[in-house]
Amino acid sequence: MISAAALRARVGAFSLEDVSFDVPGGAYGVVIGPTGSGKTTLLEVISGLLPQTGGLLTLNGRDATREAADARGIGLVYQLGFLFPHLSVEQNVMYGATDAALANTIARRFGVDALYARSVRSLSGGERQLVALARALARRPGLLLLDEPFSALDPPRRAAARREVRAIHREWGLTTLHVTHDFAEAGSLGDVAVLLDAGRVLQSGEPADVFRHPKTPYVAEFLGAENIFAGGVTIEDGAAVFHSGRLAIHVAGAATAGPCHAIIRAEEILIARTSPAPSSARNQFEGAVTEIASVGPLWRVTIEVNGATLVAALTTYSANELALRIGDTAFFTFKATAVHLC
Amino acid sequence: MRRSNAIGVGAAAASSLLLLFLVLPVVRLVAAAGPQGAARLWSDAELRQSLALTALTATAATLLAALGGAPLAWLLARRAFRGRALVAAVLDLPLLIPHPVAGIALLLLLGRGSAIGSSLLSLGLRIVGTPLGIIAAMLFVSAPLFVSGAREAFARVDVRLEGVARTLGDSPWRAFRRVTLPLAARGLIASGVVTWARAVSEFGAIVILAYNPKVVSVLAYDRFTGFGLSEALPVAAALVVLSLIPLTALRALRMGDERAVA
Repeated sequence: MISAAALRARVGAFSLEDVSFDVPGGAYGVVIGPTGSGKTTLLEVISGLLPQTGGLLTLNGRDATREAADARGIGLVYQLGFLFPHLSVEQNVMYGATDAALANTIARRFGVDALYARSVRSLSGGERQLVALARALARRPGLLLLDEPFSALDPPRRAAARREVRAIHREWGLTTLHVTHDFAEAGSLGDVAVLLDAGRVLQSGEPADVFRHPKTPYVAEFLGAENIFAGGVTIEDGAAVFHSGRLAIHVAGAATAGPCHAIIRAEEILIARTSPAPSSARNQFEGAVTEIASVGPLWRVTIEVNGATLVAALTTYSANELALRIGDTAFFTFKATAVHLC
Repeated sequence: MRRSNAIGVGAAAASSLLLLFLVLPVVRLVAAAGPQGAARLWSDAELRQSLALTALTATAATLLAALGGAPLAWLLARRAFRGRALVAAVLDLPLLIPHPVAGIALLLLLGRGSAIGSSLLSLGLRIVGTPLGIIAAMLFVSAPLFVSGAREAFARVDVRLEGVARTLGDSPWRAFRRVTLPLAARGLIASGVVTWARAVSEFGAIVILAYNPKVVSVLAYDRFTGFGLSEALPVAAALVVLSLIPLTALRALRMGDERAVA
């Protein structure tokens, strides 16, 4: 397990401030944050490579605050691999290994054994990342820290490497902390998500909870939520209604009156060409389509409603079926429970 | 396009003039006295002894520079400590002051009238006028070159490589021995070669501290003042050849580096 309590560290002008989170034993933690948020610094502090200036760090039940890097039993994989250039691939994999058979098995699982005779200088970026993964795992660490370890791999090899890391994590019960920019990766891999920005933890918890219930509009925006409105809640006929300008949105639950933000994920909104039949969905809007954009496997459709813009996501199949064009009228529907207030 | 060509031609012309100025005197010297210098190696025992003395004292000075300079270079490359800028400035001092002045300063410090000199004398170690004096003078003028080169060699080794080695179970010393040292080795050797070459070519400080026994630079000067240019030329040519040995080694090392990177 990894437990950071008010962890502090300073590197030049940058500092980690009161970083607190818990990754239980055997869990897979994911650290998400923009460039320069301190993700790599956090991994280096946990590894013991950078000194912490305050707080408490507990690793697998031990107080590791003052423990030397070589005594922490951590496998660290940097994005750039940092393979030893004066050694062969095999020597890199075996560098910290105490059991050659295990090291060879790990190398085989990542397809690195085929590169054994190669010089490190001749490897591609992706191959370097695989060798770095094998090298870190070859000594069977007690904790695994990964800093964007799949970023240079092509999609098929990335999926394979991700599967292998996840499988080893499960087989060994290996507590893992993985830094990534990829929200899909964070969602699919993580048991715990830690959102870091400017050296501070903005939010941490189960990935689904962090994604669905961001604590602040900034977190929501960072996590890719597109419908974020500033306004306030009023109680009308016993029901909570959120107002932002001329936009009125029905809200579920025990919302209290007062200023706040409303967040609706684009994936929660249904689109129709004609006015939908009455349903349990409390929020229905009609508007003109102002933008249609392809984003990976999904399409984003924007409509203008009462001076505000709402974005809905739909699959390519649905987009083809609806055949919407800019200027068309479209109907957006979502349930009151899809509205998150913060 | 035409303008950039003109700039290129102008730069090439200026560079050629400087290169000719640097190379011609040495080529002229070796052409005029090289064969004679080589022949003298057989007939001139004093020149042979002088060459051996120069090579040995330069080697001793280089080893001492490496022994004290490598840890200092590592500290300067890896540790942020108070006074680091001052230490770096102090290291530049021997390179900036005229070398006869350096010799006088060393004489004041290590001469028999000084506290250190008399203490060493009581231990049976005489500095002035001995090979120890030559080594001291060589060390003073050349050690900063070793520290500067070694500092760069250590700085070029990414600190995260050492970090990874630490996470793989290495103690700081073991990570240094298995990762930092092998990766900095070429730079350290190159620094040693430059230090040795500088020590071999030193004259100003040595002539003040230890005119005798004569290293080659002092012998060339001695022959010139005592017997004229014709007697000094073969000795000077021999010194040039001796200086070319480390330069050739350094070039070979750099070519090896370039091949390794390619």
